[in-house]
Amino acid sequence: MQNIKHIIGIFADYLGQYFKTRLAYRADFLGDLVSNLISELINLVFIIVVFTHVPMMKEWTRDEIIFIYGFFLVPYALFSMFFGFWDFNERYIIRGEMDRILTRPIHNLAQVCLESIAPDRIFGVITGLIIMGYAAFQLELSFYWYDPLIFIGLVISGALIYGGVYTAIAAVSFFSDSRTGITPMIYNIQQYGRYPVDVYNKVIRFVLTYVLPFAFVGVYPAAYFLRKEVWYTYAALTPLMAVIFFGVGLLVWNWGVTKYRGAGS
Amino acid sequence: MIQVNHLQKEFRIHQARSGLGGAFRDLFSREYKTVKAVDDLSFTVEEGEMFALIGENGAGKSTTIKMLTGILTPSDGDIMINGYVPFKQREEYVRSIGVVFGQRSQLWWDLSPLESFRLLKSVYKVDEAEGEKWLNRLIEELEITPFVSQPVRKLSLGQRMRCEVAASLIHKPRLLFLDEPTVGLDVLVKQKIREFLRNLNETENMTILLTTHDVSDIEALCKRVLVMDKGKLIFDGLLNDLKEKWGNGTEVSFQMKKRTSADDLRHALGDMPCEIEQVNEYALRVKVARSQEMLPFVLSTVMSTFEVSDVKILETSTEDIVRNIYSTDSEVVSHA
Repeated sequence: MQNIKHIIGIFADYLGQYFKTRLAYRADFLGDLVSNLISELINLVFIIVVFTHVPMMKEWTRDEIIFIYGFFLVPYALFSMFFGFWDFNERYIIRGEMDRILTRPIHNLAQVCLESIAPDRIFGVITGLIIMGYAAFQLELSFYWYDPLIFIGLVISGALIYGGVYTAIAAVSFFSDSRTGITPMIYNIQQYGRYPVDVYNKVIRFVLTYVLPFAFVGVYPAAYFLRKEVWYTYAALTPLMAVIFFGVGLLVWNWGVTKYRGAGS
Repeated sequence: MIQVNHLQKEFRIHQARSGLGGAFRDLFSREYKTVKAVDDLSFTVEEGEMFALIGENGAGKSTTIKMLTGILTPSDGDIMINGYVPFKQREEYVRSIGVVFGQRSQLWWDLSPLESFRLLKSVYKVDEAEGEKWLNRLIEELEITPFVSQPVRKLSLGQRMRCEVAASLIHKPRLLFLDEPTVGLDVLVKQKIREFLRNLNETENMTILLTTHDVSDIEALCKRVLVMDKGKLIFDGLLNDLKEKWGNGTEVSFQMKKRTSADDLRHALGDMPCEIEQVNEYALRVKVARSQEMLPFVLSTVMSTFEVSDVKILETSTEDIVRNIYSTDSEVVSHA
């Protein structure tokens, strides 16, 4: 517990430091802000255009699908902000940056996350919220006072599920010294979580629920807010899945670290 | 302080077969070769010692340092440092050591060194007041004040390296590892870093271990030298002993204004014990066993007898010494 507090403190420190540096270059910061907003806006327009051509998928209306998509963007943005080590194999294993990480007294995964943190991704959260707001308005959804809390819990769980799977996959780099990654494959699969799972066939639905549980990042938790009672059990399972998958990811990672061989230098 | 017993590290290396057919066969059955990167290494180091680990590329220095710092898990043997087993109690152990990898940066690229130091202070949970005092001393002694607030990516290598050294010491470790700390630095920066390290060793009684290819680093800093070759420790002793035993002596190369033969030179030098080599009609090389006393004599005699346009003095490099040691195949000399 003491450790986790320490890690969170350092993340806060680092982010503070990051924004401080960014703000120091005012023009640069504003430029980035604008370009990020524009790119998210383009995304938004694109999504709406695409979905206007899709009136219904199974029992899901267009607005419900848009809501799910919007929800998905929030945990996904958090995940890509904190687990930005796409180049883990290249940067830490092949170039041996892991050496340095291992000589510091904080858990090494936390350090890797910290070093590749991408605070810009936070804009994805805003886009997600706007899309959800739009869909909720169209659907005339009503919320309870505790819904924001549940929302936060589900979003964090979703981000952790992604994080766990991603960590386990990145840890494969510790065992093999080949350059090829499985990252592209996972990158493709993660897209599936955005859409209602019952549009897929049984096998894919099973995979998205139990093997690579990306459905827990989008559809299942979003179904709670859409008041689809059929999916309530799954929505409630989301935090549990988060603990299990992140725990497994961490275990694989820790095991991988003992197999780390370093790069020659 | 450091105790290493029969340390070993083996790597299993996949032997790729040649050609496309070979690659295809590799898919099904792989051949592995076991390479001993570090073979039966034993030594002890007392607190406050400053010593160098040298050896050719691939001799196992880096692997050894990585095992000593807890990065790699040894295949066999024991390491005990500061009362810890490095690879087992890594997070506790690394609080008591500092590491500088010459080829890698500890600092955050986009932050200024000062901000990196602040972050590192919270990483190591350094006491605020005491840490500040210590940091100010580091900044002052390494003379990094002028650029300590600029982003790291804007610093020159020499400036960055000094910041790296400061960063590795932020938590006042008792033991400092430096892996090729002076690679690519200019003489002035090298000197500054060396002076700083020597001072640190004297005032704080810090134990310092460095690997290097630069013999001047060792001369400036270390009394004790460990030499590794092919994963084995082949020398452990004082630097002077090392030089005397395996040094190639010193070579002086003269560029003459007039044609000069080796015999002319031999005649001028008399029966001085040295080797003379004719490079071309105008250039000659003289090799003396020791530079003490003999070198000034050679220089003054040649300069006064012939018209010389250029002189170069070539000292034995670490690599030469290491090569000599290996080719003479001597047994390990132990440190008294």
